[in-house]
Amino acid sequence: MALDFAVTQGVTLAQSSSTAFPWLSASILFPIAAALCIPFVPDKGDGKQVRWFALGVALITFLITVGGYLNGYDPSVEGLQMVERWQWLPDLGLAWSVGADGISMPLILLTSFITALAALAAWPVTFKPKLFYFLLLAMDGGQIAVFAVQDMLLFFLAWELELLPVYLLLAIWGGKKRQYAATKFILYTAGSSLFILIVGLAMAFHGGGAPTFEYTALMAKDFSTKFQLFAYAGLLIAFGVKLPIVPLHTWLPDAHGEATAPVHMLLAGILLKMGGYALLRFNVQLLPEGHAQFAPLLVVLGVVNIIYAALTSFAQRNLKRKIAYSSISHMGFVLIGIGSFSDLGTSGAMLQMISHGLIGASLFFLVGATYDRTHTLQLDEMGGVGQKMRKMFALWTICSLASLALPGMSGFVSELMVFVGFSTSEAYSLSFRIVMAVLAAIGVILTPVYLLSMLREIFFGKENVELASHTHLVDAEPREIYVISCLLVPIIGIGLYPRIMTDSYRASIEALVQRENNAMAKVIHPPANALIRRSPMAELLPPALLQAPALG
Amino acid sequence: MPSPAELAWLIPVLPLAGACLVGLGLISFNRTINRLRKPVALLLISCVGAAAVLSYAVLAQQLAGAGATEVLFNWASAGTFNLQMGFRVDALGAVMLALVTTIAVLVMVYSDGYMAHDKGYVRFFTYLALFSSSMLGLIISPNLLEIYVFWELVGMCSYLLVGFWYDRDGAANAAQKAFVVNRVGDFGLLLGILGLFWATGSFGFEEIGSRLQEAVAGGSLSNAAAILLCLLVFMGPMAKSAQFPLHVWLPDAMEGPTPISALIHAATMVAAGVFLVARLQPVYVPFPQVQVVIAVVGTITLFLGASIALTQMDLKKGLAYSTVSQLGYMMLAMGCGAPVAGMFHLVTHAFFKAMLFLCSGSVIHAMEDVVGHEPVLAQDMRLMGGLRKFMPITSTTFFIGCLAISGIPPLAGFWSKDEILGQAFGSFPLLWAAGFITAGMTAFYMFRLYFLTFEGSFRGTDKTVQAQLLAAAGKGAAEDHGDDHGHSHADHPHESGWQMAMPLAVLAVPSVLIGLLGTPWNSRFARLLNPEEAAHMAQHFSWGEFLPLAGASVAVSLVGISVSVLAYALHKIDLGTAVAARFPALDAFLANKWYLDAINDKLFVQGSRKLARQVLEVDSKVVDGVVNLTGLVTLGSGEGLKYLETGRAQFYALIVFGGVIALVVLFGALG
Repeated sequence: MALDFAVTQGVTLAQSSSTAFPWLSASILFPIAAALCIPFVPDKGDGKQVRWFALGVALITFLITVGGYLNGYDPSVEGLQMVERWQWLPDLGLAWSVGADGISMPLILLTSFITALAALAAWPVTFKPKLFYFLLLAMDGGQIAVFAVQDMLLFFLAWELELLPVYLLLAIWGGKKRQYAATKFILYTAGSSLFILIVGLAMAFHGGGAPTFEYTALMAKDFSTKFQLFAYAGLLIAFGVKLPIVPLHTWLPDAHGEATAPVHMLLAGILLKMGGYALLRFNVQLLPEGHAQFAPLLVVLGVVNIIYAALTSFAQRNLKRKIAYSSISHMGFVLIGIGSFSDLGTSGAMLQMISHGLIGASLFFLVGATYDRTHTLQLDEMGGVGQKMRKMFALWTICSLASLALPGMSGFVSELMVFVGFSTSEAYSLSFRIVMAVLAAIGVILTPVYLLSMLREIFFGKENVELASHTHLVDAEPREIYVISCLLVPIIGIGLYPRIMTDSYRASIEALVQRENNAMAKVIHPPANALIRRSPMAELLPPALLQAPALG
Repeated sequence: MPSPAELAWLIPVLPLAGACLVGLGLISFNRTINRLRKPVALLLISCVGAAAVLSYAVLAQQLAGAGATEVLFNWASAGTFNLQMGFRVDALGAVMLALVTTIAVLVMVYSDGYMAHDKGYVRFFTYLALFSSSMLGLIISPNLLEIYVFWELVGMCSYLLVGFWYDRDGAANAAQKAFVVNRVGDFGLLLGILGLFWATGSFGFEEIGSRLQEAVAGGSLSNAAAILLCLLVFMGPMAKSAQFPLHVWLPDAMEGPTPISALIHAATMVAAGVFLVARLQPVYVPFPQVQVVIAVVGTITLFLGASIALTQMDLKKGLAYSTVSQLGYMMLAMGCGAPVAGMFHLVTHAFFKAMLFLCSGSVIHAMEDVVGHEPVLAQDMRLMGGLRKFMPITSTTFFIGCLAISGIPPLAGFWSKDEILGQAFGSFPLLWAAGFITAGMTAFYMFRLYFLTFEGSFRGTDKTVQAQLLAAAGKGAAEDHGDDHGHSHADHPHESGWQMAMPLAVLAVPSVLIGLLGTPWNSRFARLLNPEEAAHMAQHFSWGEFLPLAGASVAVSLVGISVSVLAYALHKIDLGTAVAARFPALDAFLANKWYLDAINDKLFVQGSRKLARQVLEVDSKVVDGVVNLTGLVTLGSGEGLKYLETGRAQFYALIVFGGVIALVVLFGALG
């Protein structure tokens, strides 16, 4: 069976790689250790030295993850790689266990990449710079840990640890309503993460014997369908807050609306992806039978996300909140992809996370850069800004076009993969697929409506005299152009030839979908289920389609 | 030495490389690059020029009888599934390649003169090269998916170019409208492509066609579903080729610089829809109902465009509605199952309409010397008149264009339009009648444009008319001279420089002669695209059938021209009192463009804004409030979970969905 194979493979890999350089542990511990050194960095208090230090550390961390990807990671292997394991608290079953497979490796790279750029984006921060960079670097390590750890208890710790820096970054450097936003954020996330703990404990103790938290061991456990449903529901709430899923999303516009630009980039670029990653890792991989039951809900919620958030984004008059809602809208595609039961769709969900990480970060960076000049986020108070800030206008246009899924950029590929994967998926009845695809495609119309309206209101038209007279509208500086260019290179690279990214996780996603399909074959009991069933079309279709994910 | 067809991928890549180079330069070294006007223009013109040379080599190869060449590679893959990209060269593509590159080069040369004093000269050329690249990529796309990619990219270029003068509110709105209306079409196109892929497992044109037919014949797909999928795909061409009711963006798009109107919104991009329908013939032909829909949409469009063009006072808008109307003719041909005729009209129309637009640009450029850089004034024919004396080349070429579009033999438009009308007469006599009447209207409004612009006496210096026009456009008289930098206005316009006059003269040649390639008894054009049909046409050609129909179309055109001469050249009849005063409702109906813009605005623009505001209201008051307080508690309690145990998650899902909608509706009703 596939999962036994995966377990043994994981173990052999662990043994074989024990002598290799611990890339993953290094990438987690190095930024945290460096963060602890920040108090000793000589700095006059204006942050001019400490920002170089932080940038250097973030860059080295990025290089460590890239080194790990190049030297320790083999994209053709579907199981866990680069495994590093030490017993920590054996009584509790807790071990320091990290590793990477196709689901986590791209996100680890994304994390270290975006954090390095965020350090560069944080250049103008002068208020308590030491604390700021300490939190930034701590977050870097914490977030890599979330993606890399292979132990549920450790995951819970990393998940919680990463909340504290975000809370402080929001509460100290945020906007006017920062206390409210930070409190709301911490209540939502901490409250929801209780579910992770409860479900994690339940899973660890399930079946008696010594408790075990390791993913591979949990995967091997044979949970009953009923248990899977409960566990799945709990985790869905926890990760649904993070992703976020409507109606659990309301912390996000507040948090994003108050955060400063670099924190913004991290929130949109990485934090939201933790939700998507966790859904794939736990809900799909560990609870496949629960997933087989819940998948239609994911698809429906994905569609709700797309349309609902696109509409709220359209009505928003505050620039930051507008982009925040657009993030929610884009995460809808991740949900549909995860629920699609197809290689292509799931792969598209993964790519959408990476793509939105890059595009979302670039848009939020631009929001920050624009705010530095206009000192307002209200669209009504802007207008005609493009006269003085031509380069800024160009960057905004490119990033908005990327966000509205223009072909040639990564967003298009991922959304297209989700669309094609879902609509050719054999797991759903035809009518369900038609309705969902049509509704999701409405998002294709709504996205340009709000993004282009936004561009029009900020940059087009006659210059807003009041704004121009009160503010100093200087054009983009080289640092800003550099940050955006760094983000655009992978955005366009993936858009032109998506396989540079998809091939790096392909094997893992295929194994994951195989697992889903096996579980679904087990769950299917035709009379009770109207939606999840094998389409009668399957027998009649031309052979080309029968290569699509086979059931059972 | 590889053959031209194997090098065809270079055709879009060359302009793209040029555009990228200059674009990066603009972002990094803005000032320096902006100063290098001529070198940049030269570089980009040579890139497109090289693509043109290669295109002609490809065309020559096709004329010599080479078959289709197709090269594919795996672009994205997952599992056993591959999405392929690549390029394909065949006769249809070769014709379009030659057409697009020719007009693109001419328009670029013209732009050097037209945009000479514009701050955004370099940016303009970059966009032009980017557009050429996307359009050429669209032409050589081997499958629907890749077509969709380039389809969006040309849409983006159109957005950038319509909004080129971004300090004008009109341009900003028009650019957004163009993009969004096109996205509405793309919504259908995307769903149609997905559906066809689901039904046939392929993105290739021939494969889809044959497998769709098999699926319907085998009973695995109902006929109605197949028709629905075909019509969804047709929504894409409807938006791009400005077919009713998605034509609304095209007249507004005239806010862009005039060379753009010539290249994108007359000759090439708007023809992409017609081109796609021609590519999809293997899919559409087996479904006569689809063909009927295409033909009817085309007919509505051709009549609508011509009727609105009758009363336009803005020179460019008049030409824009004429383009809408002519695109309707092409679509009608496609619906009649005569793609060769439609493509032939596409080619002839591209030449003479590009020329007409460039003429209008020349006129506007000249008018700006007199009335200043205010589009409301420079484009209005009430301020023109008598320009023939000042601008001999422009007026002559415009006159040739009018003759060509009116269908006077032996100019280009006669052969292609007559071919379409002949086909329509055979397939749908009723639609033929509409096309026939419209031919007369076309001749009338085109000569109306000609006489108002070039004949009579010059009215450009009339300050009272200027003031009236400005007042009607809601602009104060003071602000229009803001950007003139104090130089005094000339008393009368001048002929444009060689960069602008030369393309006009060059385009006049094919406008006169190219129709002779498609004479019904010996159509070289048809022989290239479809040798069997050409042989069939030549064999069944009879003067007895051809002469009455052709004679009738020429006659109706002559009637249109005569009315126009009487009304606008000789002033024998006053149409204002004879028609407009007697039928005020009709006049208002046409002047308000069939009220379609008003309906759009009320229904979709205001409607979507209201809906969005309501959803946001729900979000900030209801969802946020509920979730903040009690949501977490109830969601976590057993009440919600009991439901899941039954395993009917999908039912639960529908409840969530319904709940959200109900909330929105409720708030809509209350608020």
